[in-house]
Amino acid sequence: MEKYKYFIAICVMLLSSLTISFAQEKLAKITLTFTKVDTTNVCNALVTSEGLPVKEVSVNLFVKRLFKPLPLGAATTDENGTASFTVPTDIPSLDGKLTFIARITDDENYINTEVSGDANLGTIVVSDNSNIDERSIYAGRDKAPKYFIAASIIIISLVWGTLLYAILQVIKIKKLSTANKLKTKTK
Amino acid sequence: MSEENKNTEPHKYETFTQDEYMVMKDDLLRPIQKIGWAGKLWIVFLILVCCAGVYAYFIQEMQSKYVTVSLRDTTFWGVYISNFVFFVALSLIGVLMSAVLKLTHFEWYRPLSRIAEIIAVAAIMLAGVSIVAAMGRPDRLHYLVLYGRIQSPIVWDIIVIMTYLATSVILLFIPLIPSLSTCKNHLKNMPKWQMKMYEILSFGWEGTPEQWKILKRTVKILTVLVIPLGISIHTVTAWLFATTLRAEWDSTNFGAYFVSGAFLLGAAAMIVAVFVIRKFYKLEKYLTEMHFDKLGKALVLMALIYGYFNVNEYLVPAYKMSGLHKHHLVNLFTGDEATFYWSVVIFGIVLPAILPIFKAMRKPIPLVLIALGVFAAGWFKRYLIVVPGQTSPYLPIQDVPHSWLHYSPSMIEMTIVAATFAATLLIVTLFSRFFPIISVWEVAEGKLEGKEEIINYK
Repeated sequence: MEKYKYFIAICVMLLSSLTISFAQEKLAKITLTFTKVDTTNVCNALVTSEGLPVKEVSVNLFVKRLFKPLPLGAATTDENGTASFTVPTDIPSLDGKLTFIARITDDENYINTEVSGDANLGTIVVSDNSNIDERSIYAGRDKAPKYFIAASIIIISLVWGTLLYAILQVIKIKKLSTANKLKTKTK
Repeated sequence: MSEENKNTEPHKYETFTQDEYMVMKDDLLRPIQKIGWAGKLWIVFLILVCCAGVYAYFIQEMQSKYVTVSLRDTTFWGVYISNFVFFVALSLIGVLMSAVLKLTHFEWYRPLSRIAEIIAVAAIMLAGVSIVAAMGRPDRLHYLVLYGRIQSPIVWDIIVIMTYLATSVILLFIPLIPSLSTCKNHLKNMPKWQMKMYEILSFGWEGTPEQWKILKRTVKILTVLVIPLGISIHTVTAWLFATTLRAEWDSTNFGAYFVSGAFLLGAAAMIVAVFVIRKFYKLEKYLTEMHFDKLGKALVLMALIYGYFNVNEYLVPAYKMSGLHKHHLVNLFTGDEATFYWSVVIFGIVLPAILPIFKAMRKPIPLVLIALGVFAAGWFKRYLIVVPGQTSPYLPIQDVPHSWLHYSPSMIEMTIVAATFAATLLIVTLFSRFFPIISVWEVAEGKLEGKEEIINYK
């Protein structure tokens, strides 16, 4: 009887592991849509599998940035297979366009999936470049303030001038040696 | 020099021809004349450590730095930069122990000045090496000249380091000229190339009044110049930190804090150097207990000044405990770095400020033990200034591997750091093997001029 129980338990374990391993191979598709509700920007991620909406799947939303995606949050799909995210209105962008990335990661039933989509939901960065040609301490190398360049040249010249003077004095010491004087005389 | 020579060639080469000078000269040239097996073994050991460092650097550059070095996005400055700050601080020894004492007529500086200057030269050279070791792309070093901004503290750091190195080398060399002439005239049974070197480098020195006049005037000018330069070099180093956006380095106190720390380190390094040179080269007659007594008093003064700047640097922000400062300070006072921090405070500030007040503690052995504590604490202090604060950046650290949050130097890094120390010691050792480590003429001059401070010390 005991052996029979062990056999049943092992069978159940094998079956469940097989089920899980097959279950994780199910494909899911994410479709991103963007809407505006009142003044709030909303990003909807519709998750479907074999053409049918999938519920209770966790979706993570990111926005593409310079180095790596910035996480915006996580949401679970509803009965219609939709996970909704509120998009912040203050994400900076050069032209207003933002690239959103939705991911399903480490789900029990579906393999990892990622999709990206663009939307004009960013805040356009307006750069004030009116002072770009001004000389300043924080400007580029060719725009250093004139007083700064002048002061630098004066200080460096004074110090290195003194060092040069010291080296010349050593040469003068050499010239003052009698042996050297004798050599000059015999010439 | 024999008696006969002394009588037949008076005033030929030296300004000082007294008996006392002749004895002194022999004493001070002895380390060059004779090198024992222990000395040779020491040099071989230092060369081996240097070679290990060169090999470690080769591995660092040939393999991925992600594997060979522990630096990451958050902690981007590690032991190389703290080592660089340490060596820059050490290089100020020349300013304190030679220039300041010389200009303020503290006569006991005389036997110390050359020791201080060669340590300064070696330290500033190895500070430069530490910077190159820290560079991600050392092959782009020349870009600093090609594309550097004159407004940048990094460019100024390079300018000041180069200038200070040149000044220190010239300031070491010019007072060495009469000593080189002494070597040329009095050393016996030395290799030909060595004698030729003395002849070339002594620049025809004969000790004529004109030559002395030129030499002393030039040395005086350079001595005045080296003080602002030394202070500039360490202040600019401090500004590298103070102008970088990290809570720990947000301080207007940094320049003075760094300079005062450097002077304390300089006093400690001088005590250790004097102790070792005195002991191994048997120069007790010249590096006397008076020097330990004076250096001990200097150590107290420097520790008190440094303590004052530490109060400004830590206690004032600790009173406010604002934002990111809080994280860093709590970490130092009671957190992961507490043992480290308080050891540095005790050995690096408290003990040197109190113990040498007592005369018994200004004797060579107790004082050198205190100085060794200050020296070690000095290195770790720079580590504490550079490293822990970087883990509290203004932008939050997100999505990084756990190992990135804490920095501990790799074996490659520590080998290179060890090699920089070995190289410094090697430069000083080799210098003392080829040139008089104590300036013969400066000591003789002090005695001849009857400097009370030197002669009447009890």
